[in-house]
Amino acid sequence: MLRTTLRNLAANKLRLLTTGLAVLIGVAFMSGTMILSATMAETMDDMFASAYEGTDALVRSSSVIETPEGTEIRPRIDEAVVDQLAAVDGVAVAQADVWGVAQVIGRDGDPVGQPEMGPPTVGASWPVDELNTWTLEEGRAPAAADEVVIDRKTAEDGGYAAGDRAQVLVNGAPIDVTVSGVVTFAGADSPGGASFSLFTVEAAQQHFGEVGKVDSVSLAAEEGVSQEELVERIAAIVPGGLETITGDEFIQENQDAMAEATAFFDQFMMVFAVVALLVGGFTIFNTFFITVAQRTKQHALMRAIGASRRQVLVSILLEAVVIGIIASAIGLGAGVVIAAGLKAMLTAFGVALPAGGMVFGLGTAVVAFSAGLIVTVVSAVSPARKAGKVPPIAAMRDIEVSSSGYGSKERIMVGVAVLALGAAGLLYGLFGSPSNGLAIVGGSAIVVFFGVSVLGRTVSLPMSRVIGWPLAKSRGIAGHLARQNAMRSPKRTAATAAALMIGVGLVSFITIFASSTKASFNDVIDRAFTGDVVITSPQQFGGSGGMSPELTERVAALPEVETAAGVRGGVVEVDGSVEFLLAADEATFDVFDVEPVAGSPDDLDATSIAVFEDVAQDRGLSVGDTVDAAFVATGPQELTVALIYGENQPAGDWLLGKAAYEANYVDQLDAQIFIKGADGVAQEDVLAAVEAEAAAFPGAKVLDQNEYKAEQLAFVDQMLGLVYAMLALAIIIALLGIGNTLALSIFERTRELGVLRAVGMTRRQLRSTIRWESVIIAVQGAILGLAIGIFFGWALVAALAEEGLTVFAIPVATLVWVVVLAALAGVAAAILPARRAARLDVLRAVVSE
Amino acid sequence: MTITDRSTSDRGVAEVPLAASTVHASKVYGKDATEVRALDDVTVGFETGRFTAIMGPSGSGKSTLLHCIAGLDTLTSGSAYIGETDLSTLDDNHLTVLRRDQVGFVFQAFNLVPTLTADENVTLPLALAGRKGDRDWIDEVVRTVGLEDRLDHRPSELSGGQQQRVAVARALASKPRIIFADEPTGNLDSRSGSDVLQFLRAAVDDFGQTIVMVTHDPVASSYADRIVFLGDGKVVDEMVQPTAERVLDRMKQFGD
Repeated sequence: MLRTTLRNLAANKLRLLTTGLAVLIGVAFMSGTMILSATMAETMDDMFASAYEGTDALVRSSSVIETPEGTEIRPRIDEAVVDQLAAVDGVAVAQADVWGVAQVIGRDGDPVGQPEMGPPTVGASWPVDELNTWTLEEGRAPAAADEVVIDRKTAEDGGYAAGDRAQVLVNGAPIDVTVSGVVTFAGADSPGGASFSLFTVEAAQQHFGEVGKVDSVSLAAEEGVSQEELVERIAAIVPGGLETITGDEFIQENQDAMAEATAFFDQFMMVFAVVALLVGGFTIFNTFFITVAQRTKQHALMRAIGASRRQVLVSILLEAVVIGIIASAIGLGAGVVIAAGLKAMLTAFGVALPAGGMVFGLGTAVVAFSAGLIVTVVSAVSPARKAGKVPPIAAMRDIEVSSSGYGSKERIMVGVAVLALGAAGLLYGLFGSPSNGLAIVGGSAIVVFFGVSVLGRTVSLPMSRVIGWPLAKSRGIAGHLARQNAMRSPKRTAATAAALMIGVGLVSFITIFASSTKASFNDVIDRAFTGDVVITSPQQFGGSGGMSPELTERVAALPEVETAAGVRGGVVEVDGSVEFLLAADEATFDVFDVEPVAGSPDDLDATSIAVFEDVAQDRGLSVGDTVDAAFVATGPQELTVALIYGENQPAGDWLLGKAAYEANYVDQLDAQIFIKGADGVAQEDVLAAVEAEAAAFPGAKVLDQNEYKAEQLAFVDQMLGLVYAMLALAIIIALLGIGNTLALSIFERTRELGVLRAVGMTRRQLRSTIRWESVIIAVQGAILGLAIGIFFGWALVAALAEEGLTVFAIPVATLVWVVVLAALAGVAAAILPARRAARLDVLRAVVSE
Repeated sequence: MTITDRSTSDRGVAEVPLAASTVHASKVYGKDATEVRALDDVTVGFETGRFTAIMGPSGSGKSTLLHCIAGLDTLTSGSAYIGETDLSTLDDNHLTVLRRDQVGFVFQAFNLVPTLTADENVTLPLALAGRKGDRDWIDEVVRTVGLEDRLDHRPSELSGGQQQRVAVARALASKPRIIFADEPTGNLDSRSGSDVLQFLRAAVDDFGQTIVMVTHDPVASSYADRIVFLGDGKVVDEMVQPTAERVLDRMKQFGD
């Protein structure tokens, strides 16, 4: 049986190739994703391990607030503890660590790095020699307050060398410094692509830390003292409010945090790999389905000469196994290339990844390989069963290969049930807020696709009829024949279209989601943007960084400006839950119309807080009540509700006055400055005046309403671009499927094509017939996908209404383009099959044996 | 070279102009040891308005001859003409257009496009040319072959005989210069077969159509005005006004 199978495969190399290609791409993508994430994980792990190589213990504050994004924020500790710790027996060296935000300004005047998207720009203290893991490539360590050492990547991007004068943005304002040295880290230009500005401890405290305080103390043990021993000895003397962990624990903590931060990315990529394999599965199913029908005679003959039903079935499954093994193996190899490509693509999209070799683990190989094999074999089960059912007598009959059929009543009922189940699961996952919502939604989405493909053959006929109608009317006999051909086997047309349906479904879903997000946020931003001009600053990923309040003051002093409201942000724990809050000078509240409902902005002092109406209602708060708040820097505080306001754009849910913010936060930086022009001054004059002031603050961007909107929504387009690029893969696989089906159909229709050619169909007419058939199939898949995508989009947008997605926007023009592109893709998919058909030997087709 | 030159010099007599002809036509398959000479220097003409049958045992080259004159296959050497057009001078596109506009076909089986109705099959060559055709003529043809009430049916809903009648109607619909029929009754029972042959005969008698038919059936060939006998790729004999008996007798001689 195996020999027969192998012979069959060898005899149909082209089919082997096209079938295998669908699996190959899916496996390649899956292994590529896994290789990339393993590579990233290992690079990051190595980075932390070598960064804290000599650190045996770390002392830091034990009070911590974890932001909703998972970042731990701790208050700084008194620097006196450094000397105390250095005196402990067994401590070789105690090092003060100061961390903060600093951004080198390049020679061109623009800040180096893109902390909003990529790795952070870090300000830190220069380590002591014993714990120093930097390698000085040029110059020397910083010795004075205006000396900085920068990493080589930053030096190259900024255009600096040791000895150069430069500027560094600290606390939202530029300071003049000298680059005293350039460092590399463990052989790389920079650790993980981050930008580092390293100052002396004193300078670091002064520029971006707190004078007299440090973030943590790193300790190296003396020879013969273990990490645990060291921790024990220190624990005895450290003051209350501090905690001590071993160096190994600290490394592990950093590695875990990084793994958590990148987990989303891994899942994101894995989704596309699964989609690619799913689409590949459809293609495989279809190919086997058609070839089994074409080989009916062969199977009947095998049955007639004594092969059992099971043997025929097994022979087809064996074929699938062989294809699965070959394609998955090649796919694994191709995965390395894909991983490199993905890395390049992510870099192009602005996500910087560390350089380094690829990590190809056994786990990757096993998972991707088995996924490919399983998808192939499972997809072949139903066609194989069909092959097994061929009666021996079929060998003697002349069988019409094309199989019509719109699906039995049972099938329709099953299809509707599956579809309903999927839709219900999806809605439950979205609206029922179960704990594993994402998995339920994803699984249900797959079930919906399945439901539609079960019903496919029922809806295919009318769809082909309608889609083909204009072709038949306008394209003469070629269009007419194309339409008839698409209609002749609804089962096949439907299965072919289904592969494209998935890709288009996801594309249109994402497009609708993105446009709804934009439309919703447009509305929000319109509400948020209440002044005439706004200044934004480069925000780090965690929300730190900002502009010096000096800029706000200078802008406010301009004659063209009536009010300038600097808005600051931070985290606070209110009654146990961590919340973001904003703060601004209460005198400027009118710029962003908070619409007071109760109380007054004037009452906001150092111990009071303002709450958004809805939140106040939920928590049963009214003016005069107190809330238990906890801040990173100052710990638990009791605040009085002084104001309840009715508009949370841009004010957010919790708002502090200037005094309360200054009392409870260390950094006093404005994240955004909302500016209202003076009466009678034209918008462009306000803009020009503000721009002139802001020029002294690199990184500060002066924007009008439209620019602000565009900037706020830029991330949506960026994500969209990335998602489109990923889904393009699923669509390419689907196109291969269409091409494959057409090629197999043409093989079946050899005679008929011969007749057409004999009675006068030109090659060009024949090609166009096949092309239009392909277009009908592609458009059908696109329309089905569109319908599903619109449903998915609607469901998700509706589910996220509470999160601010209030507008459901269908980008009609874009979706029309999707269908047009699908049609064009259909044309592309038909190129090779059409050429093959046109080259058919007319005579061989019409001569009967 | 003109038709007159060719017909006078090669056949000696020029009673009627030729609708199709070959001059020193040879067709060789394979090379050297495996070489098969399917046509060996065949010079033959088919007169306009007449029904010619090509007969011969299997492997005599009769189908090859038909395919080469009809522009479905190419000669190794020599020339084939439809009217005055030398087929070897045409590329695939022009050859296709020539088949579409000037040639009609009736094959033994698989004549029709399964996705088209009988009516659409009949008008297929016209549709391919982007023409409506002469509807009165088409109606008359359809009536003649008795398909008026079958026009909306697909080939799968028609009997074998009906399918061949559709094929005959298609061949006639575009008023081609010449119709080639390749064993048109080969797959039919005798009743359906004689129907089809009668229609072909009527097309010649009533409409002045030119028909060339390949057959190995003496009865079928008796409907023709003239029979050309082929053997081993050569023209071995001719017979004018044949009857089934005479053909059978002649065939027996081949057996000797």
